[in-house]
Amino acid sequence: MVTQRKISIPIYATAFIISLIIFVSGIFVGRLITTSGLEDLSQDVSDVSQRVASVQILLLMEGNSSAFCPVYSSELDSIDENVEVMGYKLSYLENEQQVSDPELKKQYFVLQAESYLLSKKINQVCGDDAVLLINFYSNEDCDDCVQQGAEVLQARDESDRKVKLYSFDGGIGSPIADAFKKQYKISRYPSLVINEKTYPGYRTSDQIKAIIEEAQ
Amino acid sequence: MELVPFLNYAIAFFSLFVVNVFILIYLKHRNVYLKTPKKTDWKPKISVVIPVYNESAYLKKSLDSILSLDYPKDKLEIIVVDDGSTDKSYDIAKSFKQIKAFRKPNGGKGAALNHGIKKATGELIATMDADSYLARNIIAELLPFFDDPEVMAVTPAVKIRESKSWLKQLQRVEYLMILFSRKLLSFIDSVPVTPGPFSIFRAKIFDEIGLFDEHNLVEDQEIALRIQAHHYKIKSSMTAEVYTEPPDNLKDLLRQRVRWQRGGIRNYWKYRYLIKPEYGDFGMYFVPLNFATLTAFFLILGIMVHSFVTTPYYVQYIWTDVLGFNIGLFTFVGAFVILTSIIFTYLSVKSFRDEKVPLRYMLTFIFFYWYLMIGYNLLFLFQEIKREGYSW
Repeated sequence: MVTQRKISIPIYATAFIISLIIFVSGIFVGRLITTSGLEDLSQDVSDVSQRVASVQILLLMEGNSSAFCPVYSSELDSIDENVEVMGYKLSYLENEQQVSDPELKKQYFVLQAESYLLSKKINQVCGDDAVLLINFYSNEDCDDCVQQGAEVLQARDESDRKVKLYSFDGGIGSPIADAFKKQYKISRYPSLVINEKTYPGYRTSDQIKAIIEEAQ
Repeated sequence: MELVPFLNYAIAFFSLFVVNVFILIYLKHRNVYLKTPKKTDWKPKISVVIPVYNESAYLKKSLDSILSLDYPKDKLEIIVVDDGSTDKSYDIAKSFKQIKAFRKPNGGKGAALNHGIKKATGELIATMDADSYLARNIIAELLPFFDDPEVMAVTPAVKIRESKSWLKQLQRVEYLMILFSRKLLSFIDSVPVTPGPFSIFRAKIFDEIGLFDEHNLVEDQEIALRIQAHHYKIKSSMTAEVYTEPPDNLKDLLRQRVRWQRGGIRNYWKYRYLIKPEYGDFGMYFVPLNFATLTAFFLILGIMVHSFVTTPYYVQYIWTDVLGFNIGLFTFVGAFVILTSIIFTYLSVKSFRDEKVPLRYMLTFIFFYWYLMIGYNLLFLFQEIKREGYSW
């Protein structure tokens, strides 16, 4: 009979240390890549800001002339698409990776506001009938906000009309977001503003689609 | 930290740790890993017991392989126990004049083994499946391990021959990995099974700890756990080769694995009392590892379902539309875990110098095996809940 059986403590201790090193390295490399994602995003925001500024200058130079409408329209569509993707990346970094940069977020809101105002102006100048939809949300105390984002996206994708989407986090103290909140009398989250009309509270994609179809 | 990310990290760390333990054991023993203890002149009488149930397709080839063994014929006693076959298995066994063939009403593999062991007169008793074929030198490779009086059983290298069937090729990789793991476990005296295809025991162990459990789904594992519970050693040879016939279709494979899984978990539960320091590595590492692995598996499945249901729209959007952005923290830890698993599989296969396995089968094995595990674990759970019976 075996008198005493051994426990190979040195093996388990070494395996534990090696695993810990690999694990921490994994987290470190992941963190580096996420941070570099944040830096890329910051660069994207500043690139798109310049493009917005170019459209603004062109609009100021040409006054209310509709001669450049095809240029405004195509440039703004591309800008809006970029702005929307940046919004997803910001949400992803913030909620999934727990990496946030409040300053970048404020810059992003300024960019969205510029893009929104520009779209409004171009709707007037060029007679474009794009529906402008703002989704006001908060990352604090708003259980429906994430789902509301998905409903808005679904309504936009399923709608026959062209819908431009903007999202503002009302809870981070951005002056621009606050100004929009004041203008559209936002008192709760989520709230939607569709073609400047406020719809407080959670709405399903079908309800949003119905509003979009009727929006003037 | 929230529960789901915490569990993700915990499972990733656990997987890394387990693989690292195996790799370290390998590195520590890599010089003696393939070696057999010094050859012995000892030539004890060996009884080979073969339980048979409708095995007429393989039995003759299997018996021929025993008769061709490089071992004195007068020291070999071959016992075939037909467990109520409805084919010609018994007639095939009877046709060999050197073989003692017995017939009994169907009672399960354990009962058939016990019937044969009771008839056996050898100092060593080998148990063998009727669809297995022995290498000629197998006895000479296994006997030296018995020089250690604490060794009560020795297991050979159970392998699958190269095949054109992809399912058999994947099982071949798996068998090499199981064999590799079993050899490593033998270095820490934690071999948990004496494989049905072929294993050899000291006859006296059956007097001391009893015969095979006749009501067990995996009796070859239960007897090994009982040997461990009595503080005896089981050693594993890498050079004594046995070739076995694996299931050749997915349905039979799943059936076999569900049986292994159901029986295995029941056995570990039965022997959970071994989780004590006095049982050394076996009690403090290997037995808990089995429970931890099963728990981790179901947790991973739960996390996958949870993630599928709750992933926010913007994450789905990024995954589908902005490829390459989703390289987050866990993804990297996950990548390390997958990399470690690949290294382990590669080491397992490469440790057998004569076995050539194409890389594509190794990689397919790593990714396919996960889905196979999902399948048989869910079936296992389902059958356990239904309390379904089983026969061999």
